[in-house]
Amino acid sequence: MIINVENLHKWFGPLHVLRGIDLTVAPQEVVVIIGRSGSGKSTLLRCLNFLEEPSAGTITIDGQTVSAGLRMRASLRTRAGRQRILALRLKTGMVFQEFNLFPHMTALENILEGLVTVKKIPKEQAVLIGEQCLAKVGLSDKRDEHPIRLSGGQKQRVAIARVLAMEPKVMMFDEPTSALDPELIGEVLDVMLQLAQEGTTMLVVTHEMGFAREVADRIIHIHEGQIAEVGPPKQILSNPEDKRTAAFLRTFTRFERGTS
Amino acid sequence: MSVDTVRQPGATTADPDLSMGLELLAAQNRARLIQSAKVGAVCVGLVALLAATLLQLRIDVPYAARHYGYVLQGVSTTLWVSLVSIFFATVLAVFGALGRLSRNSIAQGVSGLYVSVIRGTPLLVQLWLIYLGLPQIGTELIGLGFPRLGRLFILRAVQSGILALSLNYGAYMAEVFRAGIQSVGHGQREAAQSLGMTHWQMLRRVVLPQAIRVIIPDVGNNFIFMLKDSALVSVIGVLEITGRAGRLARRDSKVMEMLLVAAAAYWIMTIIASWLQSRLENRMARAYRH
Repeated sequence: MIINVENLHKWFGPLHVLRGIDLTVAPQEVVVIIGRSGSGKSTLLRCLNFLEEPSAGTITIDGQTVSAGLRMRASLRTRAGRQRILALRLKTGMVFQEFNLFPHMTALENILEGLVTVKKIPKEQAVLIGEQCLAKVGLSDKRDEHPIRLSGGQKQRVAIARVLAMEPKVMMFDEPTSALDPELIGEVLDVMLQLAQEGTTMLVVTHEMGFAREVADRIIHIHEGQIAEVGPPKQILSNPEDKRTAAFLRTFTRFERGTS
Repeated sequence: MSVDTVRQPGATTADPDLSMGLELLAAQNRARLIQSAKVGAVCVGLVALLAATLLQLRIDVPYAARHYGYVLQGVSTTLWVSLVSIFFATVLAVFGALGRLSRNSIAQGVSGLYVSVIRGTPLLVQLWLIYLGLPQIGTELIGLGFPRLGRLFILRAVQSGILALSLNYGAYMAEVFRAGIQSVGHGQREAAQSLGMTHWQMLRRVVLPQAIRVIIPDVGNNFIFMLKDSALVSVIGVLEITGRAGRLARRDSKVMEMLLVAAAAYWIMTIIASWLQSRLENRMARAYRH
């Protein structure tokens, strides 16, 4: 297992957002997480790379385990504890809804940043890796452009390249196309499809049901902080066993004629 | 402006209303120029009116003409004091801002106290404390048997002035720098953290380079304020512009003449510095807009 989450809880003050989540992601598996906004799906992702500090539970990524709770809080104050978190973050890569490219750097420099600053790879070698990743997402001609000159879809593809270059064990996508104009969504989903076909381990939070049907090995429906249902796309999307899943999916077909 | 320069890249069809648009544009530009000329004329007229009034009141222009050189010799001192002070103030402001944002309780405490005390007391009082108050402590220390340490507390007038201005402006600028650092989007930090950057790496590579957009204009603005505030160091005897003007004014009872020369010197310096500043800001804006 690349990711193994046991009994994950997260409170924001009195708000119990994640209520005992158990989750596994196997190597080369593509897991898609669906659910209403506020259901906790983004929070779940953000706990896995510790952008949010989990309140309770255990997270194991590529063999390295962290137990949430008071002991973790204490270890965060130590240098060793903080370095463990950084090491864990290197095993995952996050693609954000808002892209979060560094505006003062060109596309290539965005990709180089992690390689040179964090992984201490020498610049010439890093440039080769960076150019490869940029080519993979189809943006070699934009290597010297700043993000402000790129479209949303291009920015997201650069963001994907930035994560690819770091060679994480699992790539996490937090609603990668939700901030894009409809005509730009396709180019990003194409890149994600290609990555999935190449055997990349992916954990994707998305509303793109078509993408989920085509690419996911498993779909997890999260409802109010708990897992409502897990299964292959054929089950979840066409024959959901749980009433909540069926209700959630109905909101997607409100304005469509015929069945999805 | 010819038709060709207005053609949008990528437009393949000619715009039939192009000439109308160009005429409107030209008319707007003309109106803008006329307005500027009118405002300029008003300014010139006001200055002329002021000059005429002063001449009627028998301002001693020949005296001013003979002695303005002496006053202007203070420009180098004013510039020196201002430049050195703004440099140290900027350094203090960066540490102050980082301290205020730090998770370290010592850093937060020291910077918080520094900002509060300096912003809560008048610059003049701070100046006197440094020039007159510190030597008092210094002589005490010498008396107690710490001659080397004690002598450190006894500063000359120029040194006191620079120290006071640096500490003072550093505190005010620290707050602006802090706001600038905080204005860098949260998502930027999250992206940096996801890549595995340490706190310092994130600051150095992602946050501060973006905060610079707020910081540089603020340093420029404060330098312009500093040029004027530097006049305060004349009260402890530094012979910069105001000090020299005041000296002659007191000696020959030509107060209005000398102080007007001083005022004109500051005004011209400010105009030049402001012009340089807006050129710098335009350069920066262009780099981000492409």
